[in-house]
Parts: sequence; structure tokens; C-alpha cells
Amino acid sequence: MSVLFYICSNKFDKMKNSLLLPNKYKVLGWILFLAFATLGMFCMLNNFKIPGFDLNIFNVKTDGIADFRDFNLTNELAFLGITVGLLMVVFAKEKIEDELITMLRLKSLQWAVLISYVILIVLNFSVFGLSFLMMLVYNLWTILIVFIIKFNIALFKLKKEEVVDEK
Amino acid sequence: MKNNLRVQRAIKNITQAELAELISVSRQTINTIESGKYVPSTVLALKMAKVFAVPVEEIFDLEEGD
Repeated sequence: MSVLFYICSNKFDKMKNSLLLPNKYKVLGWILFLAFATLGMFCMLNNFKIPGFDLNIFNVKTDGIADFRDFNLTNELAFLGITVGLLMVVFAKEKIEDELITMLRLKSLQWAVLISYVILIVLNFSVFGLSFLMMLVYNLWTILIVFIIKFNIALFKLKKEEVVDEK
Repeated sequence: MKNNLRVQRAIKNITQAELAELISVSRQTINTIESGKYVPSTVLALKMAKVFAVPVEEIFDLEEGD
């Protein structure tokens, strides 16, 4: 029987989704996301900037006119951290990543794309001007966040299924 | 598509969890297949047939409307 198991698991290797990261990246992704989301919130609400974390190469001297350019990289760092963190959570494997999970993954992704664009269409008619651009930036994450929510609901439902596991 | 996976398991005397381990999937996957909510891939169906040492058609069968 163990020989059979070996052959089977070996065959299964060829069907693995090579785009996925190992399971441990899920925890790492959440830590990254939470840490950089906190940084991003401070950056947005309190105008927090990491002192000295500036991009000096392109620093242009202003000539009295209000300069909207921001050469501090705090918000860029927060954006990078949040995005990479969410991507890790989305692309981390489940403990047992079988074909049912792959199917749930793809279904959740379909929903995520759909819901993300529905939100975008609604925003298009409800938010205008510069705040619409801000919303566009946030909307870059909706697809990932909706995926995480939808996928985890699907996994939760799967675990809650009635089990008749007698021999 | 209907299946008699539960019967086959009873004959072989193994639980869902044991079958799941043999074909390297989760127990939930076996459960959803048994309850007809999920149709497994050809590879998985063939693996199951191998475990039970029967042809695939003896476990899975087409039904009206498939």
C-alpha cells in the first residue's frame, strides 16, 4: 500500500499549481499586511513620515509655488508592504492543497474580480475628482481582499459540512 | 454523476480520512465527492479505482442529464 501511495503522490506532483507559495507564507503575509497597514494608517491620518527616509535624487527645489510632490517614501513603503503582504496571503498554499481547493480558489478569484469591478462602477458614479483617484488606489487591493474573504468563507463552509465518516 | 464511494469504502473497510490519505487529498474532498457536491478529476477517479482495485465505472456512473 505504501508503494501505491508513493506512486500516487508522485503523479500528483505534476498537477501541482506551481504559482503557489508554501503554507507558512500565509502567516508571514498577515504579519506584513497588518504591520504596513498600521504604518499606512498613521501616514494617512497623522501625516506620519519616517524621518530621513527621503528620495533625494529627484528632489526639485520649489520656486515659491505650492509643491504637491512628496519625496518622503513612507507611503510608498506602506503601499509596497500592504500589497506584498496581501499577495502572500492570497498565494499561500493550504495545508492540504488538493484539486477541490484549487477549484474553490478559482471560483473565489472569479467572484473577487466581479465584485471588485462592481465596486469600481459604483464608485465611478458616487465619488468624483481627486477622491475618486484615491478610491482607485484603494480599489487595487479590493480584488485581493475580496478573494481572501470569499475563499475563507468557502473553506469554512467546507469544514462545517456534515460528516459521515464511518467505515 | 452518481457514485457508490461509500459502498466501496464499506467493502474495503476504510474511513474517509484513510482514503484521503491514500490518494493525498483532504478528508473534506472525499466527503464532498461522496455527497455528490464535487466531481473529481480523471486522475483522482483513477487513483480511487486503484485503491479499491475496481474499474472506474464501478465507482462512478453517469446519470440522466449529464
